[in-house]
Amino acid sequence: MEKELESLITSLKDELASCTKEADILNVKSKYVGKKSRITEILGNLKNMTVEEKRKYGSLINNTKKEMESIIASSLESLESKANITFDDTLDYDIENGSLHPVTIVAKEVTDCLKKMGFTVVSGPEMESEYYNFEALNVPKDHPARDMQDTYYLDNGMLLRTQTSDNQIRGMENYGAPLRICAPGRTFRNEDLDANHENTFFQIEGMVIDENISIENLMYVMQELLSEVFKTDLKVRLRPGFFPFTEPSYEMDMSCVICGGKGCPTCKNGGWIELIGCGMVHPNVLRAGGVDPEKYTGFAFGIGLTRLAMMKYKISDIRVLNSGDIRYLKNFDIK
Amino acid sequence: MLISCNKLKSHIKNNEDIDWLNIWNTFTIRTAEVEGVKKVGDQIDNIVIAEIVECVEHPDSDHMHVLKVDCGEAEPIQVVCGAPNVRVGLKTAYIKVGGHIDGMEIKSRPLRGILSNGMCCSGRELGISDNHDGILEFPSDAPVGTDVKDFLPIDDIIVEIDNKSLTNRPDLWGHYGIAREIAAITDHELLPLDLAEIKNDKQDLEITIKDPNLCYRYTGLKVDNLKNNKTPLDMQIFLYYVGMRSISLFVDLTNYLMLELGQPMHAFDSRVVKKIEVGLANDGDAYTTLDGVERKLTKDNLMIKNGDKYFGIAGVMGGLDSEILSDTDSIFLESANFNAGSIRKTAVALGLRTEASARYEKSLDPNMTDVAIKRLVYLLEKENPDLVIASNLTDVYPTKLEEGHITLHKKLLNIYMGRTLSDEVITNMLEKLGFKVTVNADSYEVTVPTFRATKDVKIEQDLIEEIARMYGLENFEAKPLKLDLTITEHETIYNQEYEVKHLLATKYDMHEVNSYIWYDTETLKKLGVEKTGVKLLGKSENNILRDDLSFSLMNIVDTNFKNYHKFNIFEIATIIENNENKRMLSIILADDEKNIETIYMQAKSIVKYLFKILKNKEVIFTNNVNEKSYYDASLGKVINIDNTKLGEINVLNKGITNKLAKKKVIVCIDIDFDKYVTITPTTKLATEVSKYPTVELDYTIIMPEGAKYDTLKQVLSEFKSNLIKCYSLVGTYENKYTIRYILGSNTKTLEQKDLTNFKDRFIEHIKNNNLSIIE
Repeated sequence: MEKELESLITSLKDELASCTKEADILNVKSKYVGKKSRITEILGNLKNMTVEEKRKYGSLINNTKKEMESIIASSLESLESKANITFDDTLDYDIENGSLHPVTIVAKEVTDCLKKMGFTVVSGPEMESEYYNFEALNVPKDHPARDMQDTYYLDNGMLLRTQTSDNQIRGMENYGAPLRICAPGRTFRNEDLDANHENTFFQIEGMVIDENISIENLMYVMQELLSEVFKTDLKVRLRPGFFPFTEPSYEMDMSCVICGGKGCPTCKNGGWIELIGCGMVHPNVLRAGGVDPEKYTGFAFGIGLTRLAMMKYKISDIRVLNSGDIRYLKNFDIK
Repeated sequence: MLISCNKLKSHIKNNEDIDWLNIWNTFTIRTAEVEGVKKVGDQIDNIVIAEIVECVEHPDSDHMHVLKVDCGEAEPIQVVCGAPNVRVGLKTAYIKVGGHIDGMEIKSRPLRGILSNGMCCSGRELGISDNHDGILEFPSDAPVGTDVKDFLPIDDIIVEIDNKSLTNRPDLWGHYGIAREIAAITDHELLPLDLAEIKNDKQDLEITIKDPNLCYRYTGLKVDNLKNNKTPLDMQIFLYYVGMRSISLFVDLTNYLMLELGQPMHAFDSRVVKKIEVGLANDGDAYTTLDGVERKLTKDNLMIKNGDKYFGIAGVMGGLDSEILSDTDSIFLESANFNAGSIRKTAVALGLRTEASARYEKSLDPNMTDVAIKRLVYLLEKENPDLVIASNLTDVYPTKLEEGHITLHKKLLNIYMGRTLSDEVITNMLEKLGFKVTVNADSYEVTVPTFRATKDVKIEQDLIEEIARMYGLENFEAKPLKLDLTITEHETIYNQEYEVKHLLATKYDMHEVNSYIWYDTETLKKLGVEKTGVKLLGKSENNILRDDLSFSLMNIVDTNFKNYHKFNIFEIATIIENNENKRMLSIILADDEKNIETIYMQAKSIVKYLFKILKNKEVIFTNNVNEKSYYDASLGKVINIDNTKLGEINVLNKGITNKLAKKKVIVCIDIDFDKYVTITPTTKLATEVSKYPTVELDYTIIMPEGAKYDTLKQVLSEFKSNLIKCYSLVGTYENKYTIRYILGSNTKTLEQKDLTNFKDRFIEHIKNNNLSIIE
């Protein structure tokens, strides 16, 4: 009896092994555990056995049937989970990707960092009035910056803004003090194009006005910004500068990443790149924006975003940025 | 501007402990940007003063001589020399065998058969002038055998300072001002200048200022009996090192004073000076300047006139006939001060920016003019001990510039600095820079010297700048802003722009471009399109501001067709429409002409997706009657949101497209981003989902020849049934359009009779509208 039961399981396994379709397995199933199968017959004979035989074989026969059913079930399952489709799973296509302009990516990084410090992003017009671009910013009528050769004046009496600093006045007018704004945007200078000069480029303006704002606060914001964008320890230096709209005024330079500070055409062989103009807001500018300089102090800064992008991505020719050439732009991706 | 450290040393007491090579890093962060520091004179050595004691012609040469020179050694040395000025008794520079010039070693070698031991040198060979006409000639009392570096200031450090960073510092346009800064930075004492005393016991010169608003001061002096017009060697070397050519003593001294004090000067030949008048030119007059160029004057140009003739363009350049002649022994010295703006405008208008105009543009201290003359006479007298002062120091100075006075409040200073400095520290810093300070309890009374008072230091903040930079910017501690929890989002445009850009670049694999705000003239010409609009002044190319963003990107489309047969680009940028700034989003899809339907549909779905995802709004497209002739007249669409026009989709017409590339199609999407920003996304409320199953029914409708989906859409929208959950177009084949309805009820499972009923009604509706349906 034991032998027979054992041989039933062995031959079941053998037959199942040669099954490739569900129907084959179902045939095998009915043959081995169906109504007319040998095991059913043996089970049927059980009632004719002696009490002793029943005790001896009852559970063995039952267990054998269960085992056979479970073997068939797992055989069915493994057939279902076996993928019948064959294909070359090593194929590897290049992916298509879109891209954001490097200036957009850098602007996002800078604004993200400033937002964490509580700045809000605002924007001003590219076609601007002399008042917002110069006069309100304490740039007197006969200042060289107002010359034709540096500024694009328009035939409707307006001009193309030469800096994003117009946002300082607009920001104060719109939102008053205290204030924490930044404003990325396109700016224009009447320049001949070469590898280092563009007539159309991007800056980001920043302005903070509050009670008791100090030069040290200005330094903090500048340093945090640069380390966030470049994510490495950079050599920076702050030196006196001159802008009509800030007093004191400073220039922040960073060591040229194109040449590593050794000197190259991009840094005019000096090893340093002028990146940020900044300073404490001139009292005349505060007044022009309707803010009381007796009560408030503040700082403002302008960062060359185009320059920053060039440094970050080691772009040596500024002209490619406005070329729209996809061969070049697609390298920059999204981040 | 080039600065000689030797010259600076002469103005600073006990300067031996200053590291002249490295001080300039500090100078950059205290005062102004240094662009370069280089040693000069270190490429030569073993050069001594030697006297020629024998001079015979070289037997094998028509110009060389064989010399015996005494250089202080036991025996004279034989040297072969080709210079024309060799003669017995001449003291010159002799480089010994083994010495170096320009880093190259000098050896004994035969010249046309005769051994030359070392060499006699010209100024150019020593790197101290560009003169190579002959060997150097030292004065007869020069000590033989002395190293030339001990005799002349050949070893020097030359520093280049960025002129731009000196724009606001008129006092730094001469060595003396730089020396004052260095002395203040290193805590040394600045030495006073040696000046000649001039007794005013003679006649005044005839000097008149016609426009005291433009000429603030004119100081003149006549000096006679000048016999020596030869510039001493050390001054020649200084001038050469800082980039000027030595001409003659009289001319060199005026330049020297400009380089020392920053005061431009002029020395005229006294014989031609009649009376001096400073006044404006007549419009249209022609005048030839010192450089031989004839220039057209205007009534804005301030002139120096001599008698009734022009004598020079004030503060810019003298005239051809004002040049000093070599045979004169009498000079007229001019030292004047002019309005900075006037000089700058004249220099710019004439395209003539000179060393003098560059300085006058910065608002020089008018109190310097007489000092400069006294200083020049002092130096002139050293070379001409018998000179005679032939006139009074004539000084026309209508309104004297006085020192400035500023009250600096300690409270304000402390806010800016973020720290408190002692009165002693503040006083010392400011006094080193030439300010005078009186300390009060809450403030400092500061007197501003006139060399800082012309424009640079006017208000308290200007003094704070001085204190902060002298304290050292590197000594400040970066401090975060104080916590302020006010929510500060004022504008959302930047975020919205980024959101759209990110979506286009990631979902549609598009490339963002940056372009110019003006139309590219070349491209307009190529496409044969004329544009009008706001124009840039003074430019003839690329001078029309764009009023159509997509069309302004056609030069970029042109560029990319050279490398790609299909591509998608976008930009968010400003256009000028009706004299106003307007922010626009442009998306351009470019592909082969055969794919027109695909990319046109893609353009529509991009727009739909954009508004659905970012604004939760449904777009309604309507047909566009386009006035712009370069777009296809029949394929334009207006993009409508909530019954407002938000933008357009256009196809560049075939003729224009062909001029860019053959067999291509360009679809342009323009969206008014100013309006886009103002759209508040609709909040859709939750809808209950029926617990009963829904049924999908597809109907294929056959459209008549020439009919478009719009017609069907209208018909479908008129068919109402409360069983309709939604319906949509799922496909087309030729003129067959398949519509899928999803039907259901919130109260029961639909029965066959409901569906049959719906179907019958629908087919009837379609047929009533003269369309057929596949049943």
